[in-house]
Amino acid sequence: MSSLQGYVDHKVLLILQDGRAIVGTLAGFDQRSNVVLSDSKERVFSLEEGVEEVPLGLYLVKGDMIALVGEVDAAIDESVDLSTIRADPIPPIRY
Amino acid sequence: MLIFSVFKTLTDQTVTVELKNDLSITGVLKSVDQFLNIRLDSIKVLDEARHPHMMAVKNCFIRGSVVRYVQLPAAAVDTQLLEDATRREAANQTKK
Amino acid sequence: MDGVSQGIQEPFDLVRLSLNERVFVKLRGDRQLTGVLHAYDGHMNLILSDVEETIMIVEPLDGASDVPSTVKVAKRNMEMLFVRGDGVILVSPPSRT
Repeated sequence: MSSLQGYVDHKVLLILQDGRAIVGTLAGFDQRSNVVLSDSKERVFSLEEGVEEVPLGLYLVKGDMIALVGEVDAAIDESVDLSTIRADPIPPIRY
Repeated sequence: MLIFSVFKTLTDQTVTVELKNDLSITGVLKSVDQFLNIRLDSIKVLDEARHPHMMAVKNCFIRGSVVRYVQLPAAAVDTQLLEDATRREAANQTKK
Repeated sequence: MDGVSQGIQEPFDLVRLSLNERVFVKLRGDRQLTGVLHAYDGHMNLILSDVEETIMIVEPLDGASDVPSTVKVAKRNMEMLFVRGDGVILVSPPSRT
């Protein structure tokens, strides 16, 4: 899984199979794309209110649970006021 | 193995990956592995207003198992070559 | 195996003989495709061109269950498409009309 190599020590966004979105710093990963995030937070999206960030700290996510890993551009991310973002949560993966 | 090879030939082409959570992501195909996990650069999520979740994400790694479709650039695909390679692989499969 | 079946001995032979022909593909999630088949593998991963996708969207009417739910049909065209095999329910060769 050479594809995750470039993301180590970078801020990443994980989208999980159940639709959850988690941001954190990629501390490590393995062959099965199991991932360790440090200083991670879940971003809870809703149409009723702005994005809520729930601190999770050091987090291990099983590879099977991951749908997507994105590299977060810190400058863009910090320029966004999350409390103004309203959107439906990402739907879960349906086979 | 055949499909993996096809994707390798499409490196640096722009593709649209549709996920099983209905997200569609367009980007430049950077790499693919044997599980058909995909690395995309310069990504854009379709209907960004409804899906602001990835606003700050410029490149991503997509797990092969969550892909529903990949829309390919037709001009970059040699269909005759594909059919020949598919017949060859099918013949090898039955020999085993 | 008689001559009529043109050497079809196993299911994948039917798919192989459909190469470069328009096929019908039924997928999970109330989707179906027609397109020209150019490649497949043992996972039923497919590459099709000139694809038309049809999605059935069933909208159950709330309230009385005896009222039939409405079905919306959405169609889409794509030039060249890779379809991941785990969503494929069936591949049917072209109808010879």
